[in-house]
Amino acid sequence: MAKFTYDENNRTHRFLRSAVIIVLSLTAFVILWWVVTLIMNNVNFPTPDKVFEALAQLIQYGDRIGGHSLWEYIGTSLQTFLQGFLLALLVAVPLGLLLGYVKPLREFTAPWIEIVRPIAPIAWAPIFIITFGSSVGSTLVVFIGIFFPLLTNIIFGVQRIDKNWLDAAKTLGASQGQIFYKIVLPATVPYTLNGIKVGLGVGWMCIVAAEMYKRTGGIGQFLVDVVNNGQMANAFAILIIIAVLGLLTTGVAEYLSKIVSRRMGMDA
Amino acid sequence: MSKSEMVIEGERYKSSDRVRADRTDMLYKDIPEGETLVEIKDLNVVYRSDDKTTVAVDDLSFDIKKGELVSIVGPSGCGKSTILRCISGLLQPTSGEIRIGGNLCTTAGSDRGMVFQDFALFPWRSVRQNVEFGLEIAGVPKEERRERSDRYLKAMGLLDFADSRIHELSGGMKQRVGIARAMIMHPAVILMDEPFGALDAQTRNILQESLVKVLKNSSRTIVFVTHSVDEALFLSDRVLVLSKRPATVHTIVNVPGDRPRDRGSPEFIKLRKEILSYLESQNTM
Repeated sequence: MAKFTYDENNRTHRFLRSAVIIVLSLTAFVILWWVVTLIMNNVNFPTPDKVFEALAQLIQYGDRIGGHSLWEYIGTSLQTFLQGFLLALLVAVPLGLLLGYVKPLREFTAPWIEIVRPIAPIAWAPIFIITFGSSVGSTLVVFIGIFFPLLTNIIFGVQRIDKNWLDAAKTLGASQGQIFYKIVLPATVPYTLNGIKVGLGVGWMCIVAAEMYKRTGGIGQFLVDVVNNGQMANAFAILIIIAVLGLLTTGVAEYLSKIVSRRMGMDA
Repeated sequence: MSKSEMVIEGERYKSSDRVRADRTDMLYKDIPEGETLVEIKDLNVVYRSDDKTTVAVDDLSFDIKKGELVSIVGPSGCGKSTILRCISGLLQPTSGEIRIGGNLCTTAGSDRGMVFQDFALFPWRSVRQNVEFGLEIAGVPKEERRERSDRYLKAMGLLDFADSRIHELSGGMKQRVGIARAMIMHPAVILMDEPFGALDAQTRNILQESLVKVLKNSSRTIVFVTHSVDEALFLSDRVLVLSKRPATVHTIVNVPGDRPRDRGSPEFIKLRKEILSYLESQNTM
């Protein structure tokens, strides 16, 4: 029988290696989880087999008490998430470029940002939701979560622009406006994507938390409902769904940012 | 802004807009080769920091003639690059004037092209897009841009790398892009700031020869800052030897012989020895 030797330079080998590691790791995780729940022997912490069974039921039948399908909850959450994300993008990109570009403005607004940024986005939830209603309110919570990582990354990106690029553009006849469109804008793309990557992670945490605070018809609300009904296996199944969705959104952003960075030969 | 355009040598030239023009050399087409094109007059650069003032350049004056390659050599830290940045308009001198064909230069513009030591290429653009950058800025239509970039990519041996990304290139290749990007604009004068300084000795020689070859086909006015006396003598019509800081002109050496030159000729060796011994006497460290 041919002996298998691992080759670091072989793409397939590298892929197989990481696949094996992931499978082993997840298996170990489930086993560990199982052992812990058996030791705890607490009704609020069901064993993995019950959770996976609940997950299959949820996917198939949805919320049988409330009469909603799982996809309705997920759809509502994703919609709020997307709205918050687009709003953050719409505000943070031009603002970040402006603040990165205009030093006096950046210096003047830096204290504002530093004061507001450390506030946990979810702390805004009660205020936003009571003021704007649960739908707009939770969108704004997501907005806050994504806005700051995005803004600070873009400002950082503008400041990291190589001064030589600006000099080169000037000696090639570029005006201030042309320098902005042809140098500053493309040069900050990797940083913008990096900000999106970080922001999406934070934003996804925000949406679930905001929905637990007030009924919005999203996945966070569903989680609170099943816990209140004592359906603990369902609660853990929902946690798995939240984790997978979060992983997917940041995964897409990470993949995009990696491709762009590589194509541009730049690291953010 | 009037859009009067004239066609010279098949290339479009906007006479109305000096800064955006992609053929600023045509502004000075009436000045014959060998006559003064660029005048640097009483250039002073003084840096002030909290507790001291440093005079980097002191009352420096010299002329650059049309079609010649002038090298500036001098002891390290004497302000060679500072002078070049003043000519380019990227740095405002404390006092003094830069004139091209009698016109005062105040800000940077496409009439003074620049080649940078660390290339200063745009990594998000392909090789061709880098070379075409200035034409794009000047509003040259796409077909003409392509036609012109083809010519320069070919001249610099880059045609096979037209669609490559900058980070895929070696240092020598990168600077070929830098030179093509500056030359394609036909600036009145090209400023090269230690363009081969970041390259290994072998690559350096190859690029020097490439530059000589390109200049054979297309006459350009070039100011070339280098710390290599050998490189200056190999490339230049004249070598400007500067003193230690604050920089003043020590001597101007007329280099005899047509390019490409023989680095081993007795004349070449003698000149190199003379300049080097002066530079050594100026090193105060």
